Formats: sequence, C-alpha cells, structure tokens
Amino acid sequence: MTLSPALILLLVPSFALAAFMVLGLYPYTLRRRQVHIIALLGGGLPLLLMAPLTALCAAGHCLGVVPIFTLTVGQSVVALALSLDPLGATIGLTVSAIGAAVLVYSITYMAATSLADLRRFFALMNLFLAAMLTMVLAGDSIVFFLGWELMGLCSYFLIAYNTTSAESITAGRKAFIMTRVADAYLLAALLLLFLHANSVRLDVLIPASATLDATMTTVIAALLLGGAMGKSAQVPFHTWLPSAMAGPTPVSALLHSATMVAAGAFLLMRFAPLMQLAPMVQVAAAVLGVATAAYGAMSALFQQDVKRLLAYSSISQIGFMMLSLGVGAPEAAAAHFVMHAIFKSLLFLAAGDITHGCVEGTDLSSMRGAWTRKPVSYVAFVAGGASLAGLPMVTAGWWSKEAILTAVQGFGAIGQVLWLGAVLTALLTGAYASRAIMIGLMPMRETDMPNAGNVHRHEAPRTGTIWTNLPLMLLATGAIVAGVLVTPIMHFLGAEEPHASAFSVYVAAAAPLLGVGLALALVFVPWLSEGLRNVRAISRKARKMPRRGEGGANSRFVRLALWLNWGMRFDGLYQVMFVRPFVKGVRWLNGYGKAPADPVGTWPVLALVWLQQKITAPLAPDWFDKLWMRGGAGVVRLWALARTVQTGRVRDYGFAMAGGIAGLLLLVWGTP
Amino acid sequence: MTLGAIILLPFFGGLVALFANLIWPRTDRWVALVSLVLGMLALIFVTAEGVLTGGSAAGIEGEAGRWLALHRSDWAPSLGVQILLAMDGFSGVLLFLSLGLGILTVILSWNETEKSALLMAALCWTVATSNGVFLAFDLLVFAFFWELMMVPAFLMIAIWGHGTREATAIKFLIFNTIAGLGLLAAVFYLGSTGENGVTFDAFVIAGRDISPYVQTWLLAGFALAFMVKLPVPPFHAWLPDAHTQAPTVGSILLAGLLLKTGAYGLFRFPAMLFPDGFAVLAPYGLILGSFGTIYGALVACGQTDAKRLVAYTSVAHMSVVLMGICGGVHFSMMGAGIVMVAHAFSASALFLLIGAIYDRVGTRDIRELGGLQRNAPRFAATFALFFSATLAMPGTANFLGEALVITGMFQVNWVYASITLISLVISVVYATRLFQRVVFGASRKAEVKQDLTWRELGPILVLGAGTLFFGLLPQGLMVALDPAVNAAVDGIRAVQK
Repeated sequence: MTLSPALILLLVPSFALAAFMVLGLYPYTLRRRQVHIIALLGGGLPLLLMAPLTALCAAGHCLGVVPIFTLTVGQSVVALALSLDPLGATIGLTVSAIGAAVLVYSITYMAATSLADLRRFFALMNLFLAAMLTMVLAGDSIVFFLGWELMGLCSYFLIAYNTTSAESITAGRKAFIMTRVADAYLLAALLLLFLHANSVRLDVLIPASATLDATMTTVIAALLLGGAMGKSAQVPFHTWLPSAMAGPTPVSALLHSATMVAAGAFLLMRFAPLMQLAPMVQVAAAVLGVATAAYGAMSALFQQDVKRLLAYSSISQIGFMMLSLGVGAPEAAAAHFVMHAIFKSLLFLAAGDITHGCVEGTDLSSMRGAWTRKPVSYVAFVAGGASLAGLPMVTAGWWSKEAILTAVQGFGAIGQVLWLGAVLTALLTGAYASRAIMIGLMPMRETDMPNAGNVHRHEAPRTGTIWTNLPLMLLATGAIVAGVLVTPIMHFLGAEEPHASAFSVYVAAAAPLLGVGLALALVFVPWLSEGLRNVRAISRKARKMPRRGEGGANSRFVRLALWLNWGMRFDGLYQVMFVRPFVKGVRWLNGYGKAPADPVGTWPVLALVWLQQKITAPLAPDWFDKLWMRGGAGVVRLWALARTVQTGRVRDYGFAMAGGIAGLLLLVWGTP
Repeated sequence: MTLGAIILLPFFGGLVALFANLIWPRTDRWVALVSLVLGMLALIFVTAEGVLTGGSAAGIEGEAGRWLALHRSDWAPSLGVQILLAMDGFSGVLLFLSLGLGILTVILSWNETEKSALLMAALCWTVATSNGVFLAFDLLVFAFFWELMMVPAFLMIAIWGHGTREATAIKFLIFNTIAGLGLLAAVFYLGSTGENGVTFDAFVIAGRDISPYVQTWLLAGFALAFMVKLPVPPFHAWLPDAHTQAPTVGSILLAGLLLKTGAYGLFRFPAMLFPDGFAVLAPYGLILGSFGTIYGALVACGQTDAKRLVAYTSVAHMSVVLMGICGGVHFSMMGAGIVMVAHAFSASALFLLIGAIYDRVGTRDIRELGGLQRNAPRFAATFALFFSATLAMPGTANFLGEALVITGMFQVNWVYASITLISLVISVVYATRLFQRVVFGASRKAEVKQDLTWRELGPILVLGAGTLFFGLLPQGLMVALDPAVNAAVDGIRAVQK
C-alpha cells in the first residue's frame, strides 16, 4: 500500500487517538512505564509527522484537500476530507509541538498520582490532542465540528479530572455548558453554509459565501464570531476560563492557554475570507477583541492566584488575536497564536513546577522564593513572562504583538482608537507579567507560608527531572527567539509586507517598559502596595466588597482592585441573570412551587381524573341497575295488589264468578 | 411467507416458552432466545433476498425498487381484511432493532427467577407485536398489532415492576388505549368508505381521493395514537412513570421499541395516506415538537431519579423526531429516522446501566449515588460514552440525526432550528447532572462496589458500537432509510405544489 496523502494526514491525529484507545480501553493493567511510553508515542508521533509536512508545505508542496470518504444525504454529497494548507500546517505544527511538550512535562508532574488516574489523565490528554489536530487539519465542516466538540467534551473530563473535588466538577460543567452555547452558534453557521453551498468542503464552502446575500453573510459571520468568542473565552462568554483553572496544571497548559481556547481564533482565521465580507461583524470582532484584551489585562493585574492570572492573560491575549482578525489581518493573528502558544504554555508549565506541592496551592505567594527554590523553572518563567509582557526586540511576544498593532493602525479612523486601546493593554500586560515575575524574586515569608518548614509534600529537588526541564528549556528558548519566525509565518500565510510607522513602533516598544514601571510602582509605592495588601486580605477571606470608605485609607483603589480581581463580578451577574432563573424554572417545573411536578404532563391526567369524578363517578350507582331494581319493586307491589283479591270468602268468589258470567253473556249478546 | 415468520417465530417462541418449563426446567430462556435468533435469521434472509434481487418481484405498482419484500394473502375476505406485509429499508432497520433488542433483553434477564417463563413470553410477544406494527400495511391488522402491543408491556410493568407498579401499568394502559381509539375509528372509517367494497389495504387507500377536510380529521385520529406512544408533551405523563416502575428489560423495550412504533407510524402513514391533512397539521406538530424538546429537557434537569431523568430526555429526543417528521423535508425526515435509531441505542444503554446500578445498590436516586469513576471504571467509561451520545456529541449517531433535523429546520423556519439548538445546550445541563452525580465524586450513601459483569458489558458494548458506527459511518443506514424518506417527502411535496 502506498502512502497516500490522505493516509499521512489521517495518521497525524490517529496516533493520539490510538494512544487514547489503548490507555482508555485496554482492559488489563499497564505498568507506569508502559503508560508513559504509550502516552508519549501518542503525543510525539504527530509532531514527527507534522514537522516534515510543514516543511514540505513551506517549500510549496502543501497536500491541500484530501478526501477521506463520502456520504450521500438525498441529493447532497457530503465529502469528508482533511486538508493541509499553510494555516493548517502552521497551527498544526504548533499544536503538536505544544502537545508533545506538555505530555513530556506531565510525566514528572503527575508522578504522585495513582496508576488508574494516570491512565485516565494521559488517555484524555491524547484524545484532546487528537481532537485539536483533527480540527486544525479538517478539510470540511463536519470533521471541523467533530474536533471542535470533542475538545469541549475532553475539557469537561479534564477540568473535572479531580472527581472528588466539587470545585473542579462545577468548573468543568460550567466550561462545558458555556462552550456548548458557542458550539450551537457554530453549528448553526456551518449548517447554514452547508445549505447554501450544498457542500461541506471548506474549500468549496468558504468561496461560495461570496454569493450569499448581505443579510445572510452578516448572520453567518455573526454566528461564527459568537462561536469563536465562546470557545475562546472572550467577554461576555469568558467566565468559564478562570474557573477552569481547577484542573491540573498540564491541562491548563494544553487546553486553557495554547490550544482549545485559541481554537476560536483559529476558527475565524479559517473563515477569514467569509468574515471579510461582513464588515460590521469585523468591526464588532475588533471592538470586542480590544475590549476583552483590556478587560483581561486589568483583571490579571490584581489576581491573587498565579493560574488565574495566567487565565485572564489568555483571555486578554486571545483578545489581541480577535482584534487582529477584526481588522482583517488573520496572518498576524496566526503569528500571535503561535507565539502565545509557546509562551503561555511555558508560563503554565513553569508556574506549575514552581508551585507544585506548595501549601498555598497556586496562590501567588507560592511563587515566592522561586529563584532560590526552582532556578531552572524560574528562569523559564521569566522568559515566558518577558515574552508575554512583550519586552521589545528581545522577546517573541513583542514581534507578533507588533505585527498586530501595525495592522490595527492601518485600519482607518476606528483603527486609531483600537490601536490606543491595544497599546494601553500592552502596557498593562507588561505590568501584570512583571508583577508575577517580581514575586518570584521575593523571599519566602512565614506569613505567606504557614507551614514554611513543610513546603513540599515530597522533597522536590531544586533542579527538576529531565522530563520537566527539557520542555521548559525548549519552550523558553522559543519564547525568546521565535520572534524571528513572525515575518516568515506571515509571508507563509500570504500577508503583505507590513508598513509600521516609526511612531507606532516606538510607542509599542515603550508600552511594556512603562508597564514594568507600573508593576514596580505597585510594589514600591507604599500607597499602592498597602492597598494591594488590603485587597489580598479581603479577597482571601470573603467574596464581599467592602463598603465605601472601608478597607483602609485608599478605599477607592482597594474597591477597584477587588472588583477587577473578581473579574468585574461577571460571575455574580450571570448567577443572577441566567443560573438562578433557570434553576428556579426547573424547580418550578418539578413541583417545588405551587404547580404540580411536570405541569404539562399532569393536565391530561387531571382531565382524566375530572372525567372520572364528574361523569363516571355519578354513574357509579348505575342508573340502569336502579331502574331494573325499581322495576322489580313494581312487580312486587303489583303482586301485593293482586293478592288482595284472594280473600278466602265464598261470597266474594261467587260475586266475582257471577260478574264474570254476566260479562260473558253481555259479550255474546252484543256480538252480531 | 418469510415475512410472516418474522412475526410468528417470536410469537410462537413466546407461547412455547410459557410452557417449556413444565416439560423441562429452565428451558424457557433457551426457547425465547432461539425463537428470536431464528426470527433474526429470517429477517436477514428476507433482507438479503430483497437486496440481491432488487426488491420484491410482486412489488406495489410504481414503487418497484422500494420494497424489499411483500406478502399478501387473505385473512377474512368478507371483511376485506388481508394479511399484507411489506418491508422497505426503514421497516428493515426497525425490525433489526426490535429483534436485536429482544435478544439483548433475553440475555439480560437470563437469571430471572420470578415467573421467568412469563417474562420470556412477554419479551417475545413485545418483539412479535412490534414487528407486526412495522410490517403490516393492512390498516386493520396494523391497528390489531398496535393494540396487542400494549399487553406484554402491561404485564412487564405490572408483574416485574417496582414501586406503584399496578397503578403505573394501568396508567400506561389507559393512556394508550384511549389514544388507540382515534386510530381505530379512523381505520374503520377508511375501510368502510371505499367505492369497491370494504378494504383496509393501505396502498389502495393511499390512491384514493379523500377531501382535505376529512383527511385532517382522520390524520388527527392517527396522530393521537402515535403522539401518545411517541410521546410528545402534553401526552407524555405515562412515560416517566412507566420507565421508572418498569424492570430494566421493560425500560429497554419501552425506550428502544415501543416509542419507536409511534415514531414509525408518524413517519409512515400521514405522508402516505393523508398528504393534505399533513399539510394542515404539520405546523402544529412542529409547535408541539419544539415545545416538547425544550420542556422535556427542562424537566429532565430537575429529576432526582436517574431513570426518570432519562425518561424525560426521551421525551425531549422524541419531540425532535416529531419535529423532523413534521418538517417534511428530506434532511429533517432523514434526521428523524436516524434519531430514532440512535435514541434506541443510547436510551436503552442508559437504562441498562442504571438498572445495573439499581441491582447493586437498590437505589436510583442520583443524590445518593456517586463514585463510579473510582470504584467501577468499566461502568464509568461506558457511562461516559452514552453520556456523550445523549448530549449529541459528534461521532455518535445522535449528533448526526439531530444535526440533520436542524438542517431541515433551517429549510423550514429558522425559529424551529434555533429551538432545537437551544435544546442541544440544555441537553448538556441534564446530561452533566446525571453523569457527574453518578460517576464523579466520592461514593455517597450507595456505593457501587462491583463493576459491570461481562454479561452486562456485552450488550452495552453492542449498543455502544452501534452508536459509534452509525455516527461515523452512517452511509448504510442512510441508504436503508432513503426510499422511505423519499416516498414521504414526495407525498408531502406533491400536495404543496
């Protein structure tokens, strides 16, 4: 059998899928080493395949669309296909590289888990990887949606990985339900496109959207945007992402930084030609993108938990991608996707290693003393943080962000406003990233670590195992030097040479540095650091906002910071707006109120009962029976009447006899 | 005559099983199993013959390619009643389902001790009567099987049920009998108003020119019977009770088979016999269906009894089937057919799993269950599969069906499409509620210690394989359903023009 292109592409996700099947379904015991080997094969082989495929693609030999098999639904022929184009190759390589790195890292990180849980963990991670790769390599909307949804399912299982913790189960469910709303949008968009183009092939579907009428284009583009925003945790669909940090750190590193949440951005990159036909939706995407970016950065600045900080920064960074997509620069968004994937997964992995086993969990205080406790991981964290902050020239993050800013500036009048918002966000990004880094330099404190003598459950060595250090070092290198790839990636995807004005570049370079200044101010200006300490104390104790004037001298700052720390209290808002009415409604339908349980189903029953009471119950004595009985009584009465004739006296009988004869005689006499 | 064997083999199997123990102890289950397997072989034979010879030679005029097999013989000529059995791909699929589920339930109740012979007989008769429903095209015979179908189900609930089983069985009987009256009245009217004497031949009646007004009333009679059996709100009240009190095998046959007969009737007869009436009533069906799918899902979200929860999800899913049928376009009807099959797999499997849990700990209250993931990994894994099927995860047949229905709804009216999409979101709420209460968490009061046995796992794996197979490679299923879908859609379209 020759290695057909279809087979090669099919193999990419199949390895991960096969690993899932073996780990998840093989009914007999596997040893820990075997589990590791299978998981790494599943995570590594896709990378080994994707690397040459991408290289070939870059050399101009992309595989293009390769049909797998076809289905016939009535008059429609549905061809399922995979495809490899420059976008798919770029993102696919990134995803498989990050996936492999995270799986390697997990070997040490998950060392303390039981064998059964380990199998479940690696099985689900591999299934997730397969789903993401399937989506990236999809050549038609059905396969695309299959990968998209399967990721949602895996994220539910993975966030709720710790199945005895109510917090993680709730977080998983929240993520699943909220992303499902996005899935519904996406499904609607894909089905409408299918009905229009009478094909599910993406290479037919997307060009065919040019012949849609304007309203339909806008509707479909808006649905796509909705789907992307839900999956990518963009405001107002973002609240699931910070909660999802209840999952294990490798899960966050793979799902909630680089791949799954970025899938929304990938969706819009895929459908960029369609999006460009709906300028209104484009502008909406850009505005919502920059708003989300700013929101995420502001909220990240005051987080007390390193994972939540990174979660908000993911929201913010994907907001940048959305902005870029909104201004019609999907190539810059793709470049930022790649850079973000590298540095964000690095940050999660490094932070995970630093805080692993700490008493305070992933609280920011667990980052204290990182420099002395875990130098390797801390250096990696600094590299990732610098890249996230976008320190000019020397980090990868700067280059891709710069490409986005350039594109935004070229977007006309709205572009200037958006640009200003993006630059301010870049400043805040610099601030929160360097805040996290600086905490790592601070010494460990007794107050922050109640059991300081017993920091680690298992004595972790200062330098981790090779399984930890190798991915960290590789990713750290990437976070610094991958900036050189930004321009090639954008060329590869077909972008034109950007023309950035010198002013814009200077401002964009200055912003992160100012942000570092802001972070220093937060630490060293007593008024601010005092306020932060108050924020910390309050946020750790209660979820209640102090009243105006309370919370120390700088009450206004404390209240603002707390509000941002709680993500502008969207959770509470949604609780009031959606969750409570839903729960109330469901409880009402189930008989907790005045209505009977299942009221609609009850009324036919009630009707039958009414029928029984009003119609059949009055008939229950059975009137016919009564009638017959009454008839019987009449017969008895008649009999009694007849009995009175029988008196027993001779004269009565003689009289009657005489009467009878007389009557007869009269009858005979009268007859002619 | 082989078509008749598909009905008669299970029927006589049941009859023999009833008395088999008198002659030789513990042979009832073998008799039941053998008769169902023989029925399956007959079905395979008929299907293969039909497919290889390109359909029935004595086909109905103008539809030569559609019918895989046909059987016609007189029963009571003076009454115009004949035995007219016909099988196309759609009936074939349902027949496979019926016999397959029958075999599965016999295996599941292999160790039943209480009145086992009668249980085996009831299982066989359920299969036999629903096979009759799927095959009969003489309307009187159809109505005969339709009414007969209730008897074994009634017995199963009343004898082997839990809790208030007698009351539930009577409720089931009252609902379905009253609804059946509509069907019976319409059938008698149709039979007696022919120009050439009394006939109940559906193909002859289909060719008749009945005024739209009369058609609407006749269809209302038919639809009442079908919608109660489906069931669609507000006629669903018997189902949650029946499911909750019925034994596991009863629930499986209820969900997998009896509900499907309602859907089958709606799928087959309105478009065939009353296309004008269908055009009048279909919008109301769409409204009922879209209400039902949201309503069933919402009520399911608040259930504490696991079986009752699944029963309400059945209401929601079968309402989607109603929507698909009333949509009357190719996509939606094909989707409805696939949802029927998919739901038979996924709901049966969930009832099986919940029944297995109940056997172990004696409760189905999801507030008391938990910790399957730690204690019983095989339970958890299979539960996860059908959990994802019930919330229509792509890759399962359930998704394929629902996506096709939604596609069709977009062709009919985007409002109905949106409602179906909303129900997809709500499905996650109830599915996760069931899943995480039962599978996740620490073990609560009721701790399941013993994992699935192989005799339970076998049927579940078969159902799981079906769910995934038809989800990933649905071409065969679609080819089988296509002629019936086309015939229905053509019938509806002819009126619209």
